[in-house]
Amino acid sequence: MKNTLRWLGVFVLLAGLPFLLGNYYNDVYRKMLLWVTLALGYNFLFGIGGQVSFSHFAFYGVGAYSIVIFLFQFHLPLPLAIVLGVALCVLVALAVAIPSTRLEGFYLALATLALAQLFVVVLNEGGAVTGGTGGLANYRLPDIFGVHITGPWYTAVIVFVLLMTLFILLKLDRSWFGRACRAVRDNPEAAAAMGINVARTKVIVFTLTSALAGVAGMAYAFVDNTVNPPIFGLENAFLILFMVIVGGSGRHAGAVIGAVLLFLLPFFLSPLVGHHHVLVFGLLVLGAILVAPKGLIGAVDFMKKKFS
Amino acid sequence: MRILGFLWLFFVGSVFAQDTIKIGVITDRVGVSKPYSEPATEGVIFGADEINRQGGVLGRKIELLIEDDQSRPDISAALARKLVDQGAVFILSVSLSPATQQQQTVTMEAKTPQMTPMNSADYLTTQLNNPYFWQTGPLGSTQGATLLAHARSKNFKRVALITDNSDLGSAIAKAFRGALEKANIQIVAEEVVARGATTATPQLQKIRAANPEAMFLAGVLTAENVLIFRAYKELGLKFPIHSSYNLSVPIYETVAKGLIDGITFVDAYDPDKPEVKAFVAAYKKAIGKDSQNLHGYGYDGIHLIVDAIRRAGSTDKEKIREAMQKTNYAGVMGAKGMRYSFPEGKRAGFDPNGMVVRVYENDRQGRVLYVGQK
Amino acid sequence: MQDFLELAVSATASGCIYGLIALAYLLMIRPTGIINFAVGEWAMVSAFGGYVFLTKYEFPYPLGMAVVIAFMLLVGWVTERVAVRPLVEKGAPLLAPVLALLGVLVITREIISVSFPPDPLPVPFPFGFGRLEFGLVAGSYQSFFIIAVTVLVFVGAWFFFEKTLWGRSFEAVSLNRKAAALMGINLSRVTSLSFAGGAAMAGLGGLLVAPNVSAHYQMGVPLAIQGFTALVIGGVGRVEGALLGGLLLAFAEQFTTRYAPIASGYTQGVPLLLLMLFLLVRPTGLLRSK
Repeated sequence: MKNTLRWLGVFVLLAGLPFLLGNYYNDVYRKMLLWVTLALGYNFLFGIGGQVSFSHFAFYGVGAYSIVIFLFQFHLPLPLAIVLGVALCVLVALAVAIPSTRLEGFYLALATLALAQLFVVVLNEGGAVTGGTGGLANYRLPDIFGVHITGPWYTAVIVFVLLMTLFILLKLDRSWFGRACRAVRDNPEAAAAMGINVARTKVIVFTLTSALAGVAGMAYAFVDNTVNPPIFGLENAFLILFMVIVGGSGRHAGAVIGAVLLFLLPFFLSPLVGHHHVLVFGLLVLGAILVAPKGLIGAVDFMKKKFS
Repeated sequence: MRILGFLWLFFVGSVFAQDTIKIGVITDRVGVSKPYSEPATEGVIFGADEINRQGGVLGRKIELLIEDDQSRPDISAALARKLVDQGAVFILSVSLSPATQQQQTVTMEAKTPQMTPMNSADYLTTQLNNPYFWQTGPLGSTQGATLLAHARSKNFKRVALITDNSDLGSAIAKAFRGALEKANIQIVAEEVVARGATTATPQLQKIRAANPEAMFLAGVLTAENVLIFRAYKELGLKFPIHSSYNLSVPIYETVAKGLIDGITFVDAYDPDKPEVKAFVAAYKKAIGKDSQNLHGYGYDGIHLIVDAIRRAGSTDKEKIREAMQKTNYAGVMGAKGMRYSFPEGKRAGFDPNGMVVRVYENDRQGRVLYVGQK
Repeated sequence: MQDFLELAVSATASGCIYGLIALAYLLMIRPTGIINFAVGEWAMVSAFGGYVFLTKYEFPYPLGMAVVIAFMLLVGWVTERVAVRPLVEKGAPLLAPVLALLGVLVITREIISVSFPPDPLPVPFPFGFGRLEFGLVAGSYQSFFIIAVTVLVFVGAWFFFEKTLWGRSFEAVSLNRKAAALMGINLSRVTSLSFAGGAAMAGLGGLLVAPNVSAHYQMGVPLAIQGFTALVIGGVGRVEGALLGGLLLAFAEQFTTRYAPIASGYTQGVPLLLLMLFLLVRPTGLLRSK
């Protein structure tokens, strides 16, 4: 009961904030929340599950495109479109994960690298279905019980997706499954000896986090009411990796810190240093890895220890 | 002392700011559009300075609010909101087409006028019915039709089409395809050179095997286009090349030296036009550097906006929208005598007959061979 | 037939470029286990070096090439000192230097991007632009030059790893760092050398490909991906694998583009699909280590 109240409190706080913000800050805020959602999932895959993948944004894109296509080309009802979108993500994720997680090392990285590139090719060449390079636009979220959700109210939907993601990941992390993931990450042989099915654990983590990225993508599709290929390319796949690293991989709070910091960085830096802001970004990332290999959350822990 | 200076600037700046008319500019300083966005933005800044030196508009100075979207459409839309919140009465986008498109979802909702002076993707004014958006760059379909009108005199029956896998390259190829199909010309080979390729030999071989009478080039990535010209020359091909307006960027004169003579390309820029001569001279005098057609797009963009504000006689966004729709303006870009306008509620304002076909001669962008698409 | 052979020459030249980049990866992976995605940016730096020394200051080609490669050795050495060694000494996990090098990738590209104009810049051919024909086999001067240089480099690399004591010590380090240290092999010197050598190989690839693709700030990432794909196809076990992987990738790309009956836009996806299939069938690469 107390726990439910706590989640509810966080929801009200996070969802209430945009009502105090202007349009611009609300827009930055909700896009930042989406990045946080993605970073949380990616952290579970990479930081806790130990798998390097570059397809997180491809799944974000599968979710975003599929919901728009199911809703406005196949004219399916919203709940069915969501279910089918998730199912599609799960199918694609299984197709990638089952073969590549059998192998060790960087093969998942490579297979997902290929998948991420292939996905953008499909989007660009997809004709009327994907809208080609211009993507899809001219749609809006269907009314839910006769209500058109927009502006800060839509941000509440994103907060819901974020908290749902966090809830699922926290539950898993604290169960035997989380321990199994960490064991697989740290020492697969030992994990296998302990009776953990290494391949199955990897496949489940990859599929689950990919499906969560897909759900976040569905929320993204109605942020600007348009989806187009550049969002789902490799550049962003590298950015999410940096976010988790800089924040502190393997830690949920680290993922949040990293995503918030690196997403907001260009907004602050661009007016200060003009077109050098990407250079500063690179220096910051390198500096963070060299100075704080456990990420900023590691540095926070260190400070806490020192001053308590 | 220095801090005092800053404070003074801040103080004066804020007083000054109340008097200015704010125009937002969304550009790309670090991403894929940088080679096009940077010169266009320089053109915007030059135009705004010139207007301000001549007293501004409605007795007020223009203040440009320039934002860098890194060619990331989601960031671009957020920046559009920022500009709206900061009181921009007009947003000028010189970024990637999908970024301009994503900004539209904001300007449509915020009822804020927005225009792009250079994006050429046809879908920008057709996909969304946004009465607050205008596009004054030459459309991909206009390029295709102009090139084709010139080619029509040659009676081609079979041609090849080649492009790259950038979003603009595919959009222009789509427009070319439409124009060719409409003219009942058979496309015997259609090839794509991917960004980052190390050769275009297989594509050109395939085209050679299809034996076309001419090749239409829709690509917009300079490096990949140079690869295509190299493979063309290496394979000893002789059919004429008709190219998109990307070949109008002067960089080809140096980076593709020895490969480009005889290539015809569509351009929105006629160096013999009086407006162009005046612009080139003024730019050289003020900045000390040579200008190119990309500067002209930005320069025309800011002038179109200021012209609309002047005619609106107000900074009310609704009045500016009405005035913009009634635009009738001659700028740097376009064939001699061309005027930008948006007849019959259209929002793509580059005159379909305003493009020209030019030819490379002695590694230089040469004379105008053909005007319009009639 | 003529088309086929002509395309074979072009694909071989592209494959050699991929192979050189793959070799750059391999030189660093072997002794350290570190995958350095910044090799693409190194190739780009070298291409810009070619622009500065060969186009702008018009050095004679061999001298210009030597200056650029020497500079690349320095770049590799400095990168190792700054971004890799501190982490290795701290005993950070292997992924840390890989990610630090991704940071180096961004920094390198941005330094070039803010120091040069945004448009592609020309880099000259050593033997000019022309076509060489031996009966049915035909290709550009540059294609044959690329092939000749690459063959020399790979023969040298093979000799180094198989026949020299130094090369053997690389091998020993890759097998077991602790044992190698006990054997008296200077680990940090091997690591320094491998990064300097990797940068030189990537730089060579960049300099050779630059006359065709021009020097521009976005050329690095595609090269890094192509080289990495080649490496995975060939396997990290043996030096020849890098070249073989590069050739296979280039042939797959160019022959599907030329002959496969698929819409042209989709042919870019074919090598990627091939690669995914390849991973399933032969995950350790074509050549197994001995």
